[in-house]
Amino acid sequence: MNNPLWTVTKFEFIRQIKKPSFWATIILIPLLVIAMMTISVLVSSNNTSTPTIDENTKVAITDEAKVFPAGFPMVVDYTEEEGKQKVVDGEVDLYFYIPADFAENKKVGFYHISEGLEIFNMDGQAIKGILNQAVASRFSDLDVTALTGNFEVTDNKLTTTGEDSNALGKAIIPFLFLVLFFFLITLFGGRMLMTVVEEKENRISEMILTSVSTKHLIVGKILSMMLLGLIQIATLIIPVIVALIIYKDNEMVSGIISSIEFDPAAIITNLLLFVFSSFLATGLLTYIGTITPTAKDASQFIGPVIIGVVFPLYFMSAFMATEPTGFVYFLTFFPLTAPTAMMLRSAFGTLTTPELLIGLIEIAVLSVIVIKATIRSFQKNAINFGLSFPKLKLRK
Amino acid sequence: MKNIVEIKNFKMQFGNKTVIKDLSFDVKAGEIFGLLGSNGSGKTTTLRALLGFYQPTKGELLINGKKYDPEDTSITIGYLPEERGLYKKETVLDNMVYFGELKGLKDPKDWSMKYLKRVKLEDKATEKLEKLSGGQQQKVQLGVTIMGDPKLLILDEPTKGFDPINRRLLMEIIEEAHEKGAAIIMITHYMDEVEKLCDRAILLKDGVAHAYGTIAEIKKQHKNKSLEQIFIDVYGGEDE
Repeated sequence: MNNPLWTVTKFEFIRQIKKPSFWATIILIPLLVIAMMTISVLVSSNNTSTPTIDENTKVAITDEAKVFPAGFPMVVDYTEEEGKQKVVDGEVDLYFYIPADFAENKKVGFYHISEGLEIFNMDGQAIKGILNQAVASRFSDLDVTALTGNFEVTDNKLTTTGEDSNALGKAIIPFLFLVLFFFLITLFGGRMLMTVVEEKENRISEMILTSVSTKHLIVGKILSMMLLGLIQIATLIIPVIVALIIYKDNEMVSGIISSIEFDPAAIITNLLLFVFSSFLATGLLTYIGTITPTAKDASQFIGPVIIGVVFPLYFMSAFMATEPTGFVYFLTFFPLTAPTAMMLRSAFGTLTTPELLIGLIEIAVLSVIVIKATIRSFQKNAINFGLSFPKLKLRK
Repeated sequence: MKNIVEIKNFKMQFGNKTVIKDLSFDVKAGEIFGLLGSNGSGKTTTLRALLGFYQPTKGELLINGKKYDPEDTSITIGYLPEERGLYKKETVLDNMVYFGELKGLKDPKDWSMKYLKRVKLEDKATEKLEKLSGGQQQKVQLGVTIMGDPKLLILDEPTKGFDPINRRLLMEIIEEAHEKGAAIIMITHYMDEVEKLCDRAILLKDGVAHAYGTIAEIKKQHKNKSLEQIFIDVYGGEDE
C-alpha cells in the first residue's frame, strides 16, 4: 500500500511545479538577484575611494624594514602586539606594521577599529592609498618608493575589546539563511495558504478526508511546500555561486569570498533556526487557510503575517547594537517575530548560547503546536464554508 | 447479519437549533439502506456526524463498532458527499490516480481508465476536470467513491441532476458495488431508486425517525401506498 503521506506530498509537489506561475518565480527571482548583484558591484566600484586622512588622524607605523628615513614622525618602535593594543586603546587610529622581511615577502599589516558591518573589505590598493596619503599629508615632498611598489596589505579589523573583527564574514551565513527564510515564506507561504483553502473552496474536503487522515494531508502539504522551497532556494543559490565564480577576480568579490567564515556551529545553528522557523511560519499561514472559506478571504491575512515576520527588520539599528535592548529581547522571544529577530541577532553576533537554546526550543515547540492546531482546525472546519475566525467575538 | 453502522440516541444541535433530536438505527453488512427525508431534515448532518465532520451533541455513531477513523484500515469507506468537488485544475486521470493511490489501489491508472471507459469518458481522461460538464464531473466523483471496492459506500444523492440514461448507468454501477459485497447508505429524493435498490430505509422527520424498516414494512405501515405517495403524505405540509 502507498504511504499516504508520501502520496499527498508527491501529488501536491507535482501539481505545483506544473504551474507556470511557479516557473515564472523560479526564473524571475534569480534574474532579479543577479541584476541586484551586478548593480551593487557597479555602484561599489564607482564609489571605491581611498578614505580621507586629515591632520588629526593618528597614524603609527612600525618600520622594521627601514623603509622610512630615520626620524620620520609617524614611525614608532612598537612591536606588532603593542601596536594592536594602541589601536584598541584608541591611542592610534591606523597602525601599519612593516616587518623586517618586507623586502622579501612584500607584506604589510594594517590594523584599525572596525566601524561595524562594513559591506566590503578594503582592498589592498585602498590601504596602500591610506598609507601613501598618511605619508604625503606630513611630507608632501617625500617619495617613499618602496610604498608604491608591488606589495600585499593584510587588512586586520579589530573590535574595541581587541579581538579580530570580521563582522561581515561572520554575518554572511546567518544572513543567507535569513534571506532564504524570507523567500520561502513570501513565495510559498501564500501558496500554502491557498492550497488549503482550495480544498474547501472546491468542496474537496469531505471526499479527501474520507480517503486520507487530516494529519497526513496537512503534513504532506507542508512537506511539499518545503520541497518546492528547496528547489527555489537551489535556483537562487546556483546563479549566485555561478556569479561569484565568474567575478572571482573582482577584488570586491574575492574580498567577500575570503572573508566568509564557515563556522560549522553557526551553520548548524542557523540551519535549525531556518527549518523550525519555516515550519512555524508556513504552519501559521496554513492555519489561517483552515479558518477562511475562500482564497480571497485568505489572501487578506497573508500581508499581516508577513509584516509580523519581517517586523524586526524595521529596527535593524537596534539589532546592530552590541548590547541588546529590552525591545530587542521582546522581539527575540515574541512568537511571530522570534525567527527573524533570532536570525538577525545570530548574524550580528549578539545571540548568546542560552538565548539561542531557549529560542530554538520555543520556535520548535510553537511550530509543533501550530501544526497540530492546523490539523485539528482543518478537521473541524473542513465543511465549514463560512469564516471561522473569531471575528464576531472580537467585535463584542 | 452483522451491523456495519450503528447509530444510537444521536442528537445534533447547532447553537439553539436542534437538527436531530434522538435518532437510532443500524445498517447491516451487505444491504442497501435508504436515508430519506425532506430538505433540511438532517440526513446529511447524520452522515457527516457518522464520518467525524461534526461532533454529535449526544449519542454514539459507530462504523464497524468504532468511531470512524480514516487511518483505520480494517474497513474501507467510499463517500460521495453532498458538497462534492475534485481538483478542478488537474486532469480527470490525475484526480482519479491520486485518490486511487490514497485508497491503496495497486494500479489506479488501469482501474481509472476501465471505469472511464465504462462511463463513456475515456476520451476525457487527460482533460482538466473543470472542462467537463457537471454530470461528467459527477461520474468521475462516483468513480473515485467506489474505488478499491469499499465495504461501506455512503452516497449523498448520487444521481442528482442526471438524465434518465446516465441515472440508469449510475444505478447499475451502484448495484455492481453492492454485488461485490458493499453495504450502501444512500440519500436520495428519487423514490423509484429506493424501491428498486434499497433493502431497508429510514424516514427522518422533525429530528426523529418517522418510519424505519424494510421497504415492505414501511409501505405496510402506510396502507401499502407507493413510497413517493408516502413521502408526499409525510412531508407534504412542510416548506421545502
